[in-house]
Amino acid sequence: MLILTRKLGESIKIGDNVKVTFLGIKGRQVRIGIEAPPEVAVHREEIYNSIQEQNIRAAKIENDRLIEEIWNRFQNAAAGNKGKKGAVEE
Amino acid sequence: MKIATTRFGEIEADESRIIEMKGEILGFEKLKRYILLAQNEKTPFGWLQSIDDGAVAFVVINPQVVKSDYEPEIKDVDVNLLEIEQAADVLLMSIVTIRQNPVSISVNLRAPIVINAKKRLAKQIVLDDPAQPVQFFVETGKPVRIPPPGKGSSIEGEDRSAAAR
Repeated sequence: MLILTRKLGESIKIGDNVKVTFLGIKGRQVRIGIEAPPEVAVHREEIYNSIQEQNIRAAKIENDRLIEEIWNRFQNAAAGNKGKKGAVEE
Repeated sequence: MKIATTRFGEIEADESRIIEMKGEILGFEKLKRYILLAQNEKTPFGWLQSIDDGAVAFVVINPQVVKSDYEPEIKDVDVNLLEIEQAADVLLMSIVTIRQNPVSISVNLRAPIVINAKKRLAKQIVLDDPAQPVQFFVETGKPVRIPPPGKGSSIEGEDRSAAAR
């Protein structure tokens, strides 16, 4: 890993098109600004990781009988709740 | 072409129905070709089956089925990448995660798969909007309306049950 020390307001360039500027520090938080062309996706790492984790978990579902079963349970629960809720509200 | 799949056995995938992933489904970078299979008429779910790896298939749903006001912003760069010419060509699919103990269904609204249904190009886009959760839980208390076939969430894929016959 390349490690650089920068002052506030200074930047680093990544390739020709990406510029990262260090804007401020507040306690343990660092604010950075990123300028990149639209085709470069910039996201917080934890978002990427959680999407990846969901994708991997989703790919483990084995068969659609399970889906149908669970779906029916949800629909039945929904129908049940709806009845109850109506009764309470009125 | 025939594909050997783990879940559905051997299925016939018409080449004209193959969806090409531009970009990746995160975690599955190497898999670029998929086919959309309808689950059956009883649920609004479908399967996005990988052609390159028969063991990989995702349960998907049109996110608007679970959140009717869902309208993700698709950036110009992705509109161009997917060669989208009109909104009507766009089919949205979100990956569904099902847990058994306790039972829950969540839908990824943060990273929908945008499909140009006309050109069969797709991409899992990551929205900037932090209000869109990676795990949107389908609530038991809210009945979910299943749109009639041929509208909204209908999946223009092979009917797997018919293909199997």
